[in-house]
Amino acid sequence: MTAQAPLWEFVDISKAYPGVLANDRVCIKLLAGSIHGLLGENGCGKSTMIKTLSGVQQPDSGQILKDGQPVEISDPHAARAMGIATVFQEFSIVPTLSVGENIFLGNMPRSTFGVVDWNKVHSDAAAVLAEMEVDISTEAITGRLSVGEQQLVEIAKAVAMRARMIILDEPTAALGEGEIERLHDLLRKMRSKGTGILYVSHRLDEVERIVDEVTILRNGRVVRASGETEITVQEIVTAMVGEDIGEHYPKEHNAKDEIVLEARGLATHNGVKDATFELRRGEVLGLGGVLGSGRTEIARALFGTDELTAGEVILNGKPVTFRKEIDAIRAGLALVPENRKFDGLFFNFRASGNITAAALGSLARFGVLDLKAEERATHDLIGDLEISVQAEEKTVNFLSGGNQQKIVIARWLFSNAEVLILDEPTQGIDIGAKIAVYKLINKLTRAGKSIVLISSDHDELLAMSDRIAVVQHGTIKRVLNAAELTHGDLVRASAETAGIRELEEAFA
Amino acid sequence: MKRIFDAQLIGPFAAMVIVALIVALTTDRFLNPGNLSNLSLQVSIVALIAIGSTIVIFAAGIDLSSGSMVALLTMILAQMLKFMGIPLMLALPLILVVGGLLGLMIGLITAYGRIPAFITTLAALIAFRGLALTFNNGSPIFSLDPALEPIFYGKLLGIPLPFFYLVFFYGLAAFMMNFTKLGREIYAVGGNPAAAILTGINVKKVQTTTFVIAGFMTAVGAVLMSARLNSGSPNYGQTLELQAIAAAVVGGASLAGGRGNILATLMGAMTIVIVQNGLNLNAAPSSVQNIVLGLIILLAVGIDMWRAEISALMGRLMGRPSVAPAAAKKKAA
Repeated sequence: MTAQAPLWEFVDISKAYPGVLANDRVCIKLLAGSIHGLLGENGCGKSTMIKTLSGVQQPDSGQILKDGQPVEISDPHAARAMGIATVFQEFSIVPTLSVGENIFLGNMPRSTFGVVDWNKVHSDAAAVLAEMEVDISTEAITGRLSVGEQQLVEIAKAVAMRARMIILDEPTAALGEGEIERLHDLLRKMRSKGTGILYVSHRLDEVERIVDEVTILRNGRVVRASGETEITVQEIVTAMVGEDIGEHYPKEHNAKDEIVLEARGLATHNGVKDATFELRRGEVLGLGGVLGSGRTEIARALFGTDELTAGEVILNGKPVTFRKEIDAIRAGLALVPENRKFDGLFFNFRASGNITAAALGSLARFGVLDLKAEERATHDLIGDLEISVQAEEKTVNFLSGGNQQKIVIARWLFSNAEVLILDEPTQGIDIGAKIAVYKLINKLTRAGKSIVLISSDHDELLAMSDRIAVVQHGTIKRVLNAAELTHGDLVRASAETAGIRELEEAFA
Repeated sequence: MKRIFDAQLIGPFAAMVIVALIVALTTDRFLNPGNLSNLSLQVSIVALIAIGSTIVIFAAGIDLSSGSMVALLTMILAQMLKFMGIPLMLALPLILVVGGLLGLMIGLITAYGRIPAFITTLAALIAFRGLALTFNNGSPIFSLDPALEPIFYGKLLGIPLPFFYLVFFYGLAAFMMNFTKLGREIYAVGGNPAAAILTGINVKKVQTTTFVIAGFMTAVGAVLMSARLNSGSPNYGQTLELQAIAAAVVGGASLAGGRGNILATLMGAMTIVIVQNGLNLNAAPSSVQNIVLGLIILLAVGIDMWRAEISALMGRLMGRPSVAPAAAKKKAA
């Protein structure tokens, strides 16, 4: 790449919140036709920077240059007018509206009398989607699309407003492998048309794949800016965490021979059919497969969320029937759901209320809670799992994603669950917190607990599992030793036999 | 104790004190003992019903049925005392049970029938009023029992009895919400029902229980209403459900569920009644009272929603260093 004038230049941007300097003289140069990675652990100041760049808030000091001219991004409208589009982690699409309506939301083409020109809405939207080579009907109700497709609609909004700078905040957090590939193709295409893209992600493997240059933040400051030089994943991790963390996946092998749980020929109305596997004491059994292959559905079948139409679950040698989640929990199972925000945490409680929620009975005598014992147990677990001590005093919405995830897992330590199903336990948390979760998995298996691990991060799944069950179409194709598999094997194994076509259809 | 008297009480308490000060300064009769004792009588019925309404709100429900349920229960009580010859000492516990059962019915339909609480209780609001009219050809029943009135007007150590009912039931409710498994589960269900299910909490049972509590507390309110006028009437309790919800909201309970302090509801009820009392003492017409009540509800929720802005404003007024947007812009330019 030749030296060229930057499209946007952010110079010495500082922003303070009460008690914390969130951005401290951050400089970023964004070139046209380039994908710029903005990396850092949670709380490093990425989100603050994104808010400033998209006009949501004003910096305390610093300068913003557009094509070399100083400008002020006074609010989100101004940002849009200047060609900045932001795709936030939480989508801003309206699920009940059509794709076309969403693409032009707030900016509908009008005809003579100020009435919305529906023909133009749909033809323009179709043109944008065609330009992106995305095959989605503009009439489709957006909420019925897959998450990956919704993500594409979000980006189509940016394309439709002819944005010259697109900010993507964790764009792949909810996407499967195939969908990520599809998104990356699209971004490369946009890059070739001269769009500048600011790409914020936790997934280092994909950063390596797509990003041209990176800026790494730590504690609100730029600690590394690559410019045009190559930078390895190991260097990125070291810069983000501030120390050489050495082993990325600290796997311990704690599996015994004793079988704790057996699923025989499980089937549900939700697409699970003839799912059979066994789980040993202290083992991590990974469920591998593409998004929508039925991994989460198998977990639901196991946990009593979906009714079994066939098959049986055998726990410690005895057949058990779970009519509802509560039966599974009483029997010693636990589910750490994929979406901890919506399904896991009580934001109105501090750590204590969240940690003890699944085992209030153990704290109660005649229905009255022993609050002292609760505080003690919470205090111990917070120390044990290295959760931020703030959690004792503040409600959990003030905590980082990593701390929140640890609290959800701590809940099942407190309730003494024997089998834990972890559904995407490291999604959206930073590398330091991920390693903490891996260590926690070790701690659990060391204590003789068994884990079913569901993860879309193939490297993580391979490294942290003892065995991997490959899931396809709601059934388990085969179970393999994790050590014998490579990343490529897993992708192939889960896509094999009609899988490839499925993968393509997911985007068709 | 620290747990019950937490920071959530400061706002509602301050509001109550400010309102009381204003009323005390604008009228000379507010602080006289007769008026204050009258005030505790006035607040008692709304405040007792509001315990149930608030607990339902904590579990992210809403109870619109209490006003009509009061009318229905006073008619059933009157029927039992006047025409069925059931003695008072038996009729009182019976009416409390009936209240609980009506609440149970609403709760079961809401939780297990998967009909939103707003709809079930709206339907109950309309139907209960109709049901009340089927007794005694729709006419009020008077002079029920001479022993009924002292329940409301009686005094112990010179203090009106309703004061003790308030202390007892609010004490019980505060204990339940803060120290029991059920209280914790109610907050959990209101805070995040999806998470509550995955945590093994029986969400439907908890939701149903809140409506049983609400029905029971409404029956307590209905007994006081009957005692106050020694009668039953299908017209009693109109808009009582809204006043009870207003008390919860002024007390800072979040209608989204999961957040709030039950004792703050008592302060919310007091605030509302003090304002009404002040307007009465100043001879304001009832139309003005309703307008003011509406404004208070708006203000209470507004203060909650604008908390960040207000504290920023206070900070600036107090001269604390904070980042003013104007200054930031100047530097940036």
